[in-house]
Amino acid sequence: MNVTVNGVTHEIEGGPLTPLLDVLREELGITGPKAGCHQGSCGACTVLVDGEPRRACLIPSVYAEGKEITTVEGLGTPEDLSAIQEAFIHHYAAQCGFCTSGMMVAAKAYIDRGGTDDPEAIQEALGGHMCRCTGYAKIIEAVSAAARGDSFDLTTTAVGKYTTMTTGGAE
Amino acid sequence: MATASLSAATDVVVPGSADEAIAAFGDGDDVLVVGGGTIVVPEMTYGRLRPGKALMLARTGLDGIERNGSRTTVGAATPLEELTGLPAPLGPCAANVADVEIRSQATVGGNICAGEGHEAPRGDLQGAFLALGATVRSAGEGGIVEEPLEEFLPKRRHRLLLSVSYDEPAAGAFAGLDRPHTHDYTALAVSGARATDGTLRLAATGAGWWGVRLPSAEAAADDPVAAGEAALSDVDPQDDALASAWYRAKVLPVLVRTVLDELKGAA
Amino acid sequence: MKVVGARIPRYDGVAHVTGRTTYVDDVRIPGTLWVKALRSPVHHAAITKLDTRPAEEMPGVSAVITWEDVPHLVYGPLEALGIPADEPLLAKDEVRYKGQPIALVAARDEATAAEAVSRIEIEFDERPALFDVRQAFDADCPVIHQEGNWYTHFEDDMDRRQIRKGDIAWAFENADTIVQGVYRPAAIEHAPIETQVCQVVPEPSGRLTIYSCTQALYFSMGVVAAHLQVPLNKLKVVGGTTGGGFGGKVDTATETMCCLLAMKSGRPVKWRWTREEEFLCSSTRAPWHMEIADAVTKDGWILGRKMLTLHDAGAYSRFSPYGLTKHSFHHTGAYTIPNLEFDGYVVYTNRVPTTAMRGFGVTSVSFAVETHMSRVADVLGLDPIEIRLKNANRVGDTSPNGVVYTDPSTVPTIQTIAEAIGHELPADYRTMTSEQRSGEWLPEHLVAQLGNPEDH
Repeated sequence: MNVTVNGVTHEIEGGPLTPLLDVLREELGITGPKAGCHQGSCGACTVLVDGEPRRACLIPSVYAEGKEITTVEGLGTPEDLSAIQEAFIHHYAAQCGFCTSGMMVAAKAYIDRGGTDDPEAIQEALGGHMCRCTGYAKIIEAVSAAARGDSFDLTTTAVGKYTTMTTGGAE
Repeated sequence: MATASLSAATDVVVPGSADEAIAAFGDGDDVLVVGGGTIVVPEMTYGRLRPGKALMLARTGLDGIERNGSRTTVGAATPLEELTGLPAPLGPCAANVADVEIRSQATVGGNICAGEGHEAPRGDLQGAFLALGATVRSAGEGGIVEEPLEEFLPKRRHRLLLSVSYDEPAAGAFAGLDRPHTHDYTALAVSGARATDGTLRLAATGAGWWGVRLPSAEAAADDPVAAGEAALSDVDPQDDALASAWYRAKVLPVLVRTVLDELKGAA
Repeated sequence: MKVVGARIPRYDGVAHVTGRTTYVDDVRIPGTLWVKALRSPVHHAAITKLDTRPAEEMPGVSAVITWEDVPHLVYGPLEALGIPADEPLLAKDEVRYKGQPIALVAARDEATAAEAVSRIEIEFDERPALFDVRQAFDADCPVIHQEGNWYTHFEDDMDRRQIRKGDIAWAFENADTIVQGVYRPAAIEHAPIETQVCQVVPEPSGRLTIYSCTQALYFSMGVVAAHLQVPLNKLKVVGGTTGGGFGGKVDTATETMCCLLAMKSGRPVKWRWTREEEFLCSSTRAPWHMEIADAVTKDGWILGRKMLTLHDAGAYSRFSPYGLTKHSFHHTGAYTIPNLEFDGYVVYTNRVPTTAMRGFGVTSVSFAVETHMSRVADVLGLDPIEIRLKNANRVGDTSPNGVVYTDPSTVPTIQTIAEAIGHELPADYRTMTSEQRSGEWLPEHLVAQLGNPEDH
């Protein structure tokens, strides 16, 4: 069985019912998508399947055959960050970072299909993603900013809704 | 590989057409039907399901919504997300399930045929389709059968659902307990529809282990408050992971009233 | 100052957004075995039979451990704070909570490990279980803990945290009204998106490399060393990257077992809890039962407070006595109450042992105290913000445990809140300050508790 991940085609040995998440992490060593619950409840495993966001822990690998899978690693690298990744850095949208991969993959798909900076639309699109650290506000701000097409100064962080400090950057 | 599939012993069949699926299903003995997999893949991951044969429906062409005049037929492998724009009760009922990622993978057949959950009832769409007076076309022992959904539900784990059909109602309504996002089931929901011939149907999910009609409420429908109370005699709510039986009994009359008020308003 | 007040991006931000941050489960070591646990299916029982041979003999299984493999079985994480050890690393002869680990298997893959666990032969003789802290004091209650149903090792072998201040009898005799309330916050599951996970590699040098999600690296290292009876320099802990913890990853719940399996098998091992294990078997924030009775005057002075706290520690002590101690100091909240009678107990039940979670001990009492304050205002028909300002602590007031306040900020904080929500205050409340009490803010009954901030 062949699966293409981030542009590279792999022949996989895992059985047809093995969840795609386990194929990615255990067989292919692609550890960006996380195993938060293995039951589709948290969104940490979300990847793009032919551009559509899906829970990798729920996809039997036979359903991934012949598909193009995109993980967080395929969104951009430290040398070449995509807009959504820059937005998450600038808007301080990651704390422990465990939900971040799934959040950004879902956000990218949302923006690619024309998603706007409307916070309610973002919440509906990312409704399957749980974060226990941030309280979601900065994640929504980051997605909103990326959807708007903002550009990001990565040497500093954005003034958020609740930020009272106005100094920017180290002296 | 570190995580060898816990169901390595299962024979996986991926038919390329509806006919192949029906043949592979046979009489359904020890066959697990997999629509999108959102319900059964975690069950297998956690070792609670170890079927002899897994029948994967993704490539059978059993998806799609067809309209023939006022009659709508929904294929078993249709993703829930495709229903979300439809009028009440079906549209809002489908939109109330989980989130867009789950809905895009989960199928109508998988939802209707869901077995009782580990700790929670499932099958939100059962309520909407019962209210629509839907019929189900299924394969299995005895061949292909078309029957009312009420008659299909007790056998749903032993049949291969092919499609579900209903006539567009004159009016429809849906009221459900607000749900958190992610992979959760509605703790309680009521669907209602008035057919073009005037027949009123009410159904509830989450008030028992699968969807049920509310005939006592239907009989008292002229008085929504009384109908709400009457509905309690049609159900047997359980304590489960989502809510207590006590709570469900408190909320059910409210949802019934809401649906009836909405149907009256649409008269 | 270059950094305080500046908006600095996270040093790990780029790694987080590119999927490069290495969490424990992302560590890839060839030959790693998977670990699964045999956990108690019952709440309280004697173990009458435990035979791990069917698991040991199964092909693909490299090691099985039970309590017999643990060099130092019972070690308390806060022994240094005087809390005696009471919890075995792995159950010996009995289980006290559903989910308690009894045996662990390391095998070539997850399926084999799970199958091996199911082959372990175990039998229980069930005992009555206790879940309601209020029943712990009944004569006919089941005995849960080896030393009885509540902790008895506070200073001077006290069986409770006790605070006595002033003259509580006077307060209750001179009150216009007594206002009572019972507050019972439930247990809360930390539910980090990353479940408990640990990977241990036995090095050829004899050291153990421990990849841990602990929130407290050196603390956990000490616990592991104590259980294994090895010097600290035998352990190399790689930590610092946790997928959320919130207090739930300080229990050192996986590291020692993984070390034992790595040592016994000679192979790297990994134990990753499922989400079900995380919900059902990992420690939680404790449930609390708090009863407050305030002796109050009709114009809103709180003359005295009686409070009883029952803290549900679950089956073992862990950090509970420490949590209750913090709780007790804060039982007047941000307010000055001169006459106090506080008793707090750490009660054992047959639940998963409770642990730290974000301000544990204090969040419970804050919730109870503030809710009660509003209730007092309600009963007296007084403004809930004014009553808080009236009783707010000021310079020179003393806390429940005798500390003299030198710089409290309660008054300006409440005034700022009132302004922010558009709540109009009368002139004397608007001009109130944190300065030492005087005039209308110094009634007779608060004179005796005044202390000198200079002395502090």
